[in-house]
Amino acid sequence: MQTFRLATCALALLVLLAAPFASRASAASIQNDLAQASVVEQIIKRGVLRVGMDTFEPWAMKDKNGQFIGFEIDVANRLAEDMGVKIEFIPTAWSGIIPALLTGKFDVIIGGMGILPQRALKVNFTEPYDYTGMSIVAHQEKAGGFSSLADFNRPEVEIAVKLGTSAVAAAKKYLPQATLRLFETEPQAYQELRNGKVHAVVGNAPKPAFEALAYSDTLFLPLAGTFTREPVGFALRKGDPDALAFFNSWITGVREEGWLQERHRYWFETRDWVGQVQ
Amino acid sequence: MSGRPYRFSWLDLVLISGVLSLVGFIVYRLFFVLEYRWNWSVVPTYLVRYDEQSGQWLPNILLEGLFTTIRLSVWGMLIAGILGLFIGIARTTRRLFPRLCSRTFVELIRNTPPLVLIFIFYYFVSDQILPALGIETMVRNLPPAWQGRLALIAAPPALIIPFLSGALTIGLFQSAYITEIVRAGIQAVDAGQWDAARALGFTRSQQLSCVILPQALRIMLPPLANEFINTIKYSSIVAIISIQELTFQGLQVMASTQASIEIWLTITVIYLVLCLTLSLGVHRLEKRLNVYRR
Repeated sequence: MQTFRLATCALALLVLLAAPFASRASAASIQNDLAQASVVEQIIKRGVLRVGMDTFEPWAMKDKNGQFIGFEIDVANRLAEDMGVKIEFIPTAWSGIIPALLTGKFDVIIGGMGILPQRALKVNFTEPYDYTGMSIVAHQEKAGGFSSLADFNRPEVEIAVKLGTSAVAAAKKYLPQATLRLFETEPQAYQELRNGKVHAVVGNAPKPAFEALAYSDTLFLPLAGTFTREPVGFALRKGDPDALAFFNSWITGVREEGWLQERHRYWFETRDWVGQVQ
Repeated sequence: MSGRPYRFSWLDLVLISGVLSLVGFIVYRLFFVLEYRWNWSVVPTYLVRYDEQSGQWLPNILLEGLFTTIRLSVWGMLIAGILGLFIGIARTTRRLFPRLCSRTFVELIRNTPPLVLIFIFYYFVSDQILPALGIETMVRNLPPAWQGRLALIAAPPALIIPFLSGALTIGLFQSAYITEIVRAGIQAVDAGQWDAARALGFTRSQQLSCVILPQALRIMLPPLANEFINTIKYSSIVAIISIQELTFQGLQVMASTQASIEIWLTITVIYLVLCLTLSLGVHRLEKRLNVYRR
């Protein structure tokens, strides 16, 4: 009996002493599992980074050789190069790009996606690697003399925007009274404006300004510059701290280098690249 | 109709001039009233490109898209044909259970809009099935020669999963229509053929495969070929789930070049030429088959 009680005590003591080690061991294995399950690990294993994006001047465009070019494409290419893997672009219709990410059709969205709260509930965003803003281009006859957002903020004013973009959110926020017309692609929205069916298009700079330049006889820019400033980040699936940390570090690195700013200037402030697409 | 000498009357003149003026009006609106900068030079650019490295002309994205459309339609039709045959036979059996199941399947698909179905299939059906099979890793580990062959008949490794889900979606969708063609074909065979086959001692499945189906197939061929043309037309819907067929590639080019009307017109002409050629083929097939009929 005595020996039995002693043995039980010894066993209890052993268990108590071993408990922290056991929990540490399981914590280590959880950490290990997490790191192994990270998208970054999968990319390295596969040897291919799969990027979801949509064609959006000048973020991503198809050039004459059927290759993708653009600001976003430069960023993704550099990222793949730094990771030492190949790159695959998976063009996806913008309205369905988040579901496509969540269902694992690619690893990350690098597509000029504005960081919005309602998006951030569904996906994780990295820190901003670029800033974009909304600007507005209007039809000379329909919106003649309009020079402020207040002029557009009336129920009889119709605004065309691309479906699922942050332009929709911006238009709802700054022009709550105006009537929104949603289009699947950008060219459709701008064609509607040129036909004089809507008063204005709200879209990411610099496209509205380019459009006003190209059709200076019918369109004009009612406001100088942009009326919002939006951070743009990579979007990835939730529950992957390692990938988020890695992408954040990478963005910090290339920003400090000045490379991001230099690429931004080339694609957004010059028109040197136009010959590649037309 | 035939045999009566054809006389050109004033009514014909009115009709022809009416049609011509309508066409003229549309062209005038397009080219003179519409606020649009025409830029036709992008069309040849995106159809074919000159490859500096190999020094030869290669198909560019629009033609690539056309090839994808054709591949997608062929695979979709294969899937639909096989499924449709079995479900069609199930529609005509005497047993209640297969009849109920197949009827339900057909009615479900025929009475929902294709676009909605495509979303459902894509995000729920093929997304749950395909990744679980580990196809992508398998394809990526293939030797390069095989990857090239696979790209020729289906899609390159990067796009194989979306391609398969697109083909599966179109296949499932079209199989409902093919089911009905198969059912009609089987039921169009004279009932006496069943009796004759039974009198010769054939089992039920032998009656079907040796006597009924060969005759039914001849009846089914023209509508089946027509359904193939429909498959090509429907394949443009899968642009919405980002499968890189002709319509999707066209949308990409439009967003890159802003030449939307030119590209839409080009795509229309490509589809028209493709489907019209096949239609004429189907027409000749029908004529050939009619020669053999009683």
